[in-house]
Amino acid sequence: MSAGRSPYDTAPPVAAAILRVGLALLIAFGALAVGIARWQVWEAEALTMAPDDPLVLAAQRSAPRGPIVDTRGVVLAETELVGGEARRHYRSVAAAPILGYWSPVFGTSGLERAYDAELIGLAGGSPSEALLRKFERSPYDPATLHLSIDLRLQEKAAQLLGADRGAIVAIEPATGRILALVSSPGYDASRIADPAEGPAYFATLREDPASPLLDRATQGLYVPGSVLKVATALAALDSGAVAPETIFRDQPAEERTGHVVEGFRVRDGHHPMTGDRALDLRRAIEVSCNIYFARTAVLLGGERFRAWGTVAGFDAPIPLELPTAASQLTDRPPGPNGGFRDDAELANAGYGQAQVLVTPLQMALLAAAVANDGVAMRPHLVDAVEWSDGSRRATAPEAWRRIAAPTSAAVVREAMQQAVEGRWGRAFAGAAKVPGVPTAGKSGTAELGGSGEPHSWFIGFAPVEGARIAVAVVVEHGGRGAERAVPLAGELMAFYLGLGR
Amino acid sequence: MTADATSVRRWPVRPRPRPRELALLAVVAPTLLLGFATLRTQQLAAAGTDRLTLGDPVVPALYLGLLFAAHAILTLAGRQTDQVLLPAVGLLGGLGLLLMERLPPSLVVQRFGPLELGLGSLQLLWLGLALAIIAAFGVLVRSDTWLRLYKYSWAAAGIALLLAVFVLGHEVNGARLTLCLGPVCGQPSELLKVILVVFLAGYLSENRALLASRRSRLGPLGLPPLQHLLPMLATWAIALAIVIVQRDLGAALLFFAIFLTLLYVATARWSDVALGLILFVAGSAALYLLLPHVRTRIDIWLDPWAQAQGAGYQTVRALYAFGRGGILGTGLGAGLPQVGDVPAIPAVHTDFAFTALAEETGYLGSLAILATYAVLVERGLRIAARSADDFRALLAAGLTLVIGIQAVIIVGGNARLIPLTGITAPFLSYGGSSLLANAVAVGLLLALSDRGVALPPPPRRPAAERLVAGLRAAGDRVERAIT
Repeated sequence: MSAGRSPYDTAPPVAAAILRVGLALLIAFGALAVGIARWQVWEAEALTMAPDDPLVLAAQRSAPRGPIVDTRGVVLAETELVGGEARRHYRSVAAAPILGYWSPVFGTSGLERAYDAELIGLAGGSPSEALLRKFERSPYDPATLHLSIDLRLQEKAAQLLGADRGAIVAIEPATGRILALVSSPGYDASRIADPAEGPAYFATLREDPASPLLDRATQGLYVPGSVLKVATALAALDSGAVAPETIFRDQPAEERTGHVVEGFRVRDGHHPMTGDRALDLRRAIEVSCNIYFARTAVLLGGERFRAWGTVAGFDAPIPLELPTAASQLTDRPPGPNGGFRDDAELANAGYGQAQVLVTPLQMALLAAAVANDGVAMRPHLVDAVEWSDGSRRATAPEAWRRIAAPTSAAVVREAMQQAVEGRWGRAFAGAAKVPGVPTAGKSGTAELGGSGEPHSWFIGFAPVEGARIAVAVVVEHGGRGAERAVPLAGELMAFYLGLGR
Repeated sequence: MTADATSVRRWPVRPRPRPRELALLAVVAPTLLLGFATLRTQQLAAAGTDRLTLGDPVVPALYLGLLFAAHAILTLAGRQTDQVLLPAVGLLGGLGLLLMERLPPSLVVQRFGPLELGLGSLQLLWLGLALAIIAAFGVLVRSDTWLRLYKYSWAAAGIALLLAVFVLGHEVNGARLTLCLGPVCGQPSELLKVILVVFLAGYLSENRALLASRRSRLGPLGLPPLQHLLPMLATWAIALAIVIVQRDLGAALLFFAIFLTLLYVATARWSDVALGLILFVAGSAALYLLLPHVRTRIDIWLDPWAQAQGAGYQTVRALYAFGRGGILGTGLGAGLPQVGDVPAIPAVHTDFAFTALAEETGYLGSLAILATYAVLVERGLRIAARSADDFRALLAAGLTLVIGIQAVIIVGGNARLIPLTGITAPFLSYGGSSLLANAVAVGLLLALSDRGVALPPPPRRPAAERLVAGLRAAGDRVERAIT
């Protein structure tokens, strides 16, 4: 039959419905295009940089990996190809808590993990560069990580801690650059990366009761003791709960018997020195008066104390290239009285006991903010990521939080200088004094309840004006602050200020 | 012309050039050749040799040869059939072949006597058969009576096939889909979807007027006469049975979606679709509560990272692959669909073929593949809208939906827009049953698109159907008497 029009050849009535079905499928395909764009365009970079993709790691077993260098260009970690297999070498054991490790068996940790994509070279500098690389043999462009760490200071800090458990964080107050970050005991990342020795060594580290794999500086939670008085003072001054001149008339009398809050007796040990003199805020910091800060905390009130703490970095992990733990003023969620159970807890929290737990990083940030007129700069470890073509992604100094008014910070700064250099303060924290340089600080003795030596604490900075270094030092079971942390911090700050750039 | 045709017996038809098809194939062929060359060059580069190469020319040459042979056969047959379907299928199939050539051949190995074939060679074999089916249908199928008249027979055959799988099927990866006849194993649900479409086209075209009438009501919803609701309920029940017995969520979803859409095409009634969706939601909720494997699928969909090392592994790997691809892709052969001989994404060659291609060709590649599917759908629906009668229109629309909806379900599952179900990406994924069944669909579409063939005369109903019609009329009378 030839191709004629048949009588049935009219537009079928289903045509309209078919058109609608076609439109529906078109919309479905459009939705697919948008849904795929979510993964391939919007979230592509985040997915590529996800450090827990074992595939990327496996593919990297035989590929080069970018080096990590300190602020002066000293190579801290580099990769060598041994018989086609990549081996990571670490120059210094002291840098382990910062760098972490890279191992084909155990994956990555530390900055090796946070900057995995850049070190591998999956995360490119510029899009055009990434496009050009597609035409080269290896699609990877390993980047170099430039750290703010000074290896000399890092090693000095580790050496000062020695075999003791503890942590040290040193920050440049004006920029937030972390100069040193030490956790003790540490580990040898080169041995973890060694395929022959790695498994046995890693198993030992995991079972070690001293938890060498835990980065105490960023994730260790410690009772702060008297170093927290700096926080109480800032919060109280900022809110107007106390003035620098505020004194508590009953305080000298209470030194003998203790100050009773809801049945709890707050005690002090400095009355042989201060006698019947009522202390103002500066003096209270200088001699580390528990009663003064217990009363200040109650005067301030739980809600205002808690609110200040949240601004100052408590209650949430501090943003850093490494995982951080959240410090706390109390262990309960915010609520009436800021979550403090009662005024007894609040009073004890005022001088750093009760349920207060802090990371050394949080305390270093506190000291740095006092030195920096009340502004905490965003802390960072990586100054810049640099690609082979010379393009860089630098970390600009950035104000993170204003945690106190400049006037409040100035009062506390003076008080902390008195605590190191003052007539009375010298007995507590005099050993932190950097010879020839005005030094400020606050020692702490964290009572742990039960038997055992307290944790020894110090936070401080030098010089007092235009500080170049702020530190937090904690030595677990190191005894009173003055015994261990204070002289250690003094030596560390002196060492840093004595270094040529 | 008929006079010539009878006098020249040796060749009863005149060849008719297909310029559009040839032009499109002339675009597809160099695209695929470039792809194969890129792949080989990248593989050599990874092995340490910097050399541009066309590599092993056998596979692309064989595939393109088959593609052009299909074109030649259609040209010689001289029918006025669609000229876009073959190049679109050829492009998708070629991309799939590229992926299978790129994955480790040991993923699938099948022995035919002394011959041992790996993944790529097997896919080439199946593609060859698929192209043969398309060409054969495009040339030989000139009448639709064999489909139109025997719809209940087809339905019976389909149900028999389904029951055979229920009873005799082998369990693979936790799903009971595979039926083996001697050495050859296949997944009958792939063919079943075509049979379903044939049955539905016959049933719906015959009962359109009845189905579209409203004589019973359920609350605000007007319903078709109750006895015509039965097919909907039956299809729903079959879909549920497939989920429960075969654990094949994808096929069930596909079947029900095809059914609802065809019902809409036949009746143009949103209320039927709404009712179907209510049934779908109710069924899904019940399955979610009752069946652990359904629950796992949904939970993974909602948050794959919650169990990234466990049940969500496949999905998380797939999302990383999408991310690695980015906008421009890693380049063919430069992605990470496998490390060593272990696929990075489990079942990458079947369930995640789209993802693997998306990684290596980027978002642009993803869009291109989606667009090719959209072209197939557009051509199919165009054929349907142009059809001379309702049966053909519904049949063409249904066959199109088989491919279109399946593509949406699997690509949506890959991209985590909907829960992942284990069905293939049409013409991209590895799998003989899938390729052959989709080839049957495209072959039938091709035959239906012939603009040179006049309609067959209105068919005489066979005895069985007259009986059914009689029974139905009796049922109608009873119902009228009751209401």
